[in-house]
Amino acid sequence: MQPILNIDLSTRTINSFQIPVDWEQQYLGGSSLAARMLFEYLREDLDPFEPDAPLLFLTGPLTGTAGPAVGRFVVCGKSPATGRWAESNCGGFWGPELRYAGYDGLWITGSAKGPVYLWIHEGQVEFRESAQIWGKDIYETQTLVKEELGQPGVRVSVVGPAAEHGVLFAGIFCDHGRTAGRTGLGSVMAAKNLKAIAVYGKRKPLPLARPDVFAQIRSSSNRALKQDNEAKVLRELGTASAANYAEYMGAMPSKYYRQGSFDKVDNVSGAEMAESILTGTSACHACVIACGRVVALEDGQKRKGPEYETIVSFGPNLLNDDLAAVVRMGELCDLYGMDTISMGNTLGLAFTLYERGLLTNGDTGGLELKWGDVEVIEELIHQTAKREGLGEYLALGSYQFGQHFGAEEEAVQVNGLEVAYHDPRGVSGMALVYATSPRGACHNQSDYFFVDWGHTNEQLGIGYFPKQAGGEKAANVARHQDWRTLTNSLVMCIFANVPPQVQVDLINAACGMDWDVGAMIHAGERGWNLKRVINHRLGLERDNDRLPKALLQPYPEGGSAGYRIPLDEMLDAYYDVRGWDPQTGRPTRRKLEELGLQDFAGELWS
Amino acid sequence: MSATFPSPDWLQGLMKKLNSDEKYAKIARNWEGDLLFHIEPEGNLTGPLSFYLDLWHGTCRNVEFKPSPDKYVDSAFVFQASYTDITAILTGKLDPMTALLTNKLKLQGNLGVMMRSVPTVLDFVRCAREVTTDIQ
Repeated sequence: MQPILNIDLSTRTINSFQIPVDWEQQYLGGSSLAARMLFEYLREDLDPFEPDAPLLFLTGPLTGTAGPAVGRFVVCGKSPATGRWAESNCGGFWGPELRYAGYDGLWITGSAKGPVYLWIHEGQVEFRESAQIWGKDIYETQTLVKEELGQPGVRVSVVGPAAEHGVLFAGIFCDHGRTAGRTGLGSVMAAKNLKAIAVYGKRKPLPLARPDVFAQIRSSSNRALKQDNEAKVLRELGTASAANYAEYMGAMPSKYYRQGSFDKVDNVSGAEMAESILTGTSACHACVIACGRVVALEDGQKRKGPEYETIVSFGPNLLNDDLAAVVRMGELCDLYGMDTISMGNTLGLAFTLYERGLLTNGDTGGLELKWGDVEVIEELIHQTAKREGLGEYLALGSYQFGQHFGAEEEAVQVNGLEVAYHDPRGVSGMALVYATSPRGACHNQSDYFFVDWGHTNEQLGIGYFPKQAGGEKAANVARHQDWRTLTNSLVMCIFANVPPQVQVDLINAACGMDWDVGAMIHAGERGWNLKRVINHRLGLERDNDRLPKALLQPYPEGGSAGYRIPLDEMLDAYYDVRGWDPQTGRPTRRKLEELGLQDFAGELWS
Repeated sequence: MSATFPSPDWLQGLMKKLNSDEKYAKIARNWEGDLLFHIEPEGNLTGPLSFYLDLWHGTCRNVEFKPSPDKYVDSAFVFQASYTDITAILTGKLDPMTALLTNKLKLQGNLGVMMRSVPTVLDFVRCAREVTTDIQ
């Protein structure tokens, strides 16, 4: 691995360090390695906004190579939204550029006296004053930094005004709306008075252990990826291609997870976007899929088009079928630098409470929260980013918003992170995924909904269980989580449908290792369990493995009507296959030893 | 209307079913597009097989079993599947959308139409399953 740059913003000191070789072999990179690096630093009494709180940007062993869809990096730390483990990965081109600059990661602590941005290039690190860009949106910030530096090819990751205002679901953005959106790490970065990080390097191509073998494998895997039906669908229709099928299956929530079908889904689907406003596609580094959408509205200006989560968040979730409005809402969140999943989810709670009379016009400043009212939705997005009016509380995310109005049980979140838009009543594996994910209700720790749609994997031993099966699919879910933990170590895009054996071959060729699929899964399981130990240290107990009330109610209509998730049965089976103590939910000493994590057993067991 | 797959009788039976099924007529009322299927030989199917259906607004206007290779090449949707996978779909062992997303059912044609027509696709398959009494 290349060195990790260690930056203390308080003292403006800079040095670098190497990752121990045995850590590389055990954790590979990305979020698993980040968990190992951060382990000693994440305490229950650590305030994520205090200067000592570390913020870690990390790439993976394939980042920046010509492998399939491997342009991603991950940001990790302690979440201000959940108080627990935080990770959020991001595509675009910033991660590769950091590696070209000679570093595999940034370990950032401290807090600058005034706003700064970092300029990392050719082995140098500069602190640049950034008072002039503080308050600017994420696109203007990138433009101004690039203009000031005048370096062609520079890539800039930034935070927006929402992060500066401490919105608990503010993200870190780069390129054209690529986002490390979840868990609120944008606000952690802003609390350090760090507005942006510009990187540029010439270290291309990146050194590989077996370059010829790697070139051969990545060529064949990219060719296969181009022919993959799922990749074709994503290229032509974007991730929103899933909307119709998800709605049909009862897996797309509407009206804040209270309505099991949305008869206007055609108006906001990926197909509708492709046939009406789509003008092009955009791709991250080394990606042949290009799921990113470029659209034009009435003003003719080209802008980023929404992906599935944003479409459902501001569409069916709020009973809005105006696709152009969804585009504008997604763009607003990007400009301010906020996560669209959490924003739409928290708005959904506000609309629900208003409908029930728990939120009044006195609370909303006179705004009438009528489902589907796009002007009100847009106004509340502005208020949230600025923490004005009702936005002061919306900025806290759904759990704390609900708490403020005495209705936290109505919030559709797990451990402080808002549930994504893959409803476990239609794809029951997601019940376990949401309940046990190390960062709260997350769909990227395991996109198991694909498995519930039949996307099995023989090489991994991931078979098919009916979409509304219960505890019998626990082992399958755990296996899939382990695989995705490995994917998040690489850090590879989960849309790249690369066979596991090819993933292993790429790792071996890049890193000079000799893994097989079993070793890969074992490393994923190690990462999953280490994050679990961290979360127990941060206060997590078995009771935290839960689903919100709304998801445990059967839908009266739609493709999953009548199905009640047997969560307790599923969790019992899950703890059993995980080797976790059924009383406390903690990994047993034996499990930790099996994974080479015996040094951490003392955290959990005396 | 029921028959063994694959056979001309099966295809004729499917045409009759599609033209008499009220549910299909309602769900597929907006569908426009003909389908050409290429089945790769495997198991009991010793040679390549093709069959064609012209579907229009909830009806089936025409079918042809084993058309000549140069006929219907401009069909709106051209599917390709192995004999094992197509029979798995017809016997309910494989979901057609799953088959599509996992490359078991290869497709040339407008993916947008296919993805937004999930109910039509699934109901077409329901009809096909109902006329399939046996697999050769």
